[in-house]
Amino acid sequence: MPWKQNYTISDEKSLADSEIRWPGGARCCFSVTVDLSVAAGPEGIRAADLTTGPAYFGMHEGLAGLRAVLARHGVRATFAVPAVMARIQADALRSLAAEGHEIAANGFRHEDVSGLDRAEEKARIERTGAIIAEVTGSRPVGWYSLPRQGDPFAVGTISPNTMDLLIEAGYEYMGNGLADDIPHWWVTDFATRRAILTMPYYYHFDDQWFLMFPSKGTGLEHADSLFRNWRAEFEAQYRRGRHFHMVLHPRHVGWAHRLQLLDEFLSHALRHPGVWNPTAAECVRHWKATYPKETHLQLSPSVWKDYPGSLS
Amino acid sequence: MTAAADTLDREIDDLVKVARDYDARHEPITDLRWPEGVRIAVNFTADFDAMLLRRLLNEPPMQLAKGEFGGRVGIWRLIELFDTYGVKATFFTPGRICELYPDSLRAAARSGHEVADHMWEHHVPKDPALERDHLRKTMTALESVTGRRPYGTRSWHTQALLVEEGFLYNSHGHASHRPYYVWDAERRSRLLNIPFHYNIDDAMYYSFAWLGSSNPAQRISDTDRVEELWWNAFWQQYQQEGGYLNICLHPFVSGRALRIAMLERLIQRMKRLPGVWFPTCEEVARHCLANHPPRSAA
Repeated sequence: MPWKQNYTISDEKSLADSEIRWPGGARCCFSVTVDLSVAAGPEGIRAADLTTGPAYFGMHEGLAGLRAVLARHGVRATFAVPAVMARIQADALRSLAAEGHEIAANGFRHEDVSGLDRAEEKARIERTGAIIAEVTGSRPVGWYSLPRQGDPFAVGTISPNTMDLLIEAGYEYMGNGLADDIPHWWVTDFATRRAILTMPYYYHFDDQWFLMFPSKGTGLEHADSLFRNWRAEFEAQYRRGRHFHMVLHPRHVGWAHRLQLLDEFLSHALRHPGVWNPTAAECVRHWKATYPKETHLQLSPSVWKDYPGSLS
Repeated sequence: MTAAADTLDREIDDLVKVARDYDARHEPITDLRWPEGVRIAVNFTADFDAMLLRRLLNEPPMQLAKGEFGGRVGIWRLIELFDTYGVKATFFTPGRICELYPDSLRAAARSGHEVADHMWEHHVPKDPALERDHLRKTMTALESVTGRRPYGTRSWHTQALLVEEGFLYNSHGHASHRPYYVWDAERRSRLLNIPFHYNIDDAMYYSFAWLGSSNPAQRISDTDRVEELWWNAFWQQYQQEGGYLNICLHPFVSGRALRIAMLERLIQRMKRLPGVWFPTCEEVARHCLANHPPRSAA
């Protein structure tokens, strides 16, 4: 094994709290991702997924309600949009972009790409970028592979080629990774230090895992837990001077009384002095300028040995 | 007695014998007392498998990244937290982690924490020769980064092998609230068990898809709720003579900022009370072996 490939994606140690700097001396970064997909399975959005009450609600009342809350607090977000939804909600996307939100990609149909061959995945990445550019007037610089409620793991699915293809297609960042709680470099090739900056994601701050989830079994409404998670994480990250991130779905959080919780949380968090609320792209540009991989990616060669009877 | 009744009784007798045999293998410590002035021993333990178990189970790349958080971030935060409050913890560490995160293990050892065995690659091979090979590889690997061989384990390793290799305890089962001695099924070896219970295990509250749990069976809790559950567990034991609590953490789970903050509150609450001892598991084991030795004969 040339490096710790198939085990780790980045260097051995994260930046310490004391090493983290935000623009203008801000204390903590506060970033919000809104997933504009509709509920779908691993094959991505199909006709049946678009013709449901929750899908309609998410595209209309849910989105309008969420936008009103974000606007009331002056919060800007990154909207992660599958190509198909960019076409369906073209007007909404244009007005979101005009209001200063970022539009990023979230798959072609928000499908699970883990089984796609390289050529097929490449074609979908390219087509998605082109469609979003046609709708909004500019190519997305961020790519998300956000998890779906029915996924076996709450982390998002990628193929072995995804990160490399994103670099090839000129994406500036991958929107959801779990190896850190700040932006970090996802290395695709150790020898050449080929890497893409990855924004942090964690399922405990994503509304879809708490609002009528699971839909069967032990599932119930955990809006109170979600609210406590947001508050606890924000307070801890603010104290450390790091990064707070949350994921919202208009069809989930957009339901009126849940929006009230979001409203309360935003009031609480944004009362703190020195909170910087960039879009993901702005955060990424700051990060690349401050912590470029050339100086900040500390890759040590592997000391891993292969033994008979052990993992390789 | 009819033949049928005779057969039925034999079935019962067989089960009674099994239960009695199992009973006889356990030696609880019924009069546990800690060093002078100590009411309760609290073991903070952390299973430092990071992404190794996810890799072993062939989980997808993002799941590995979720585990990687434990090595890049979580382990460092736990060490810092424990050091701030003078807590000595035990890090149960697969041998392979020495090749992935050696610096963090050196730092843990420097701070006086215990680095103990958690299997070479988080599993125990069926072949006895390979099993011994894995155990020895781990002992060598841990010693090479910490300067000291492990005396404890949290594993499914064959007990007789552990005893043969000089291990003092396993922290695995929960047949009792308190440390206890247990014989293996073949009555070849007896070993101290330092119990932990899954209800004081972060993964049970926070880790999505823990060991393949399906979506209708997810357990996702917030830190306020878990803090109160664990505080209650502590408080119940604190009120006993010779109380004991083992808090099982995973750096990739509890290393998240909100959970470090919760653990900090929990430690602060415990430290406000007199007589709370935060030793390593090895210290607990040595105390038990010296002051509450096993019965002299089997």
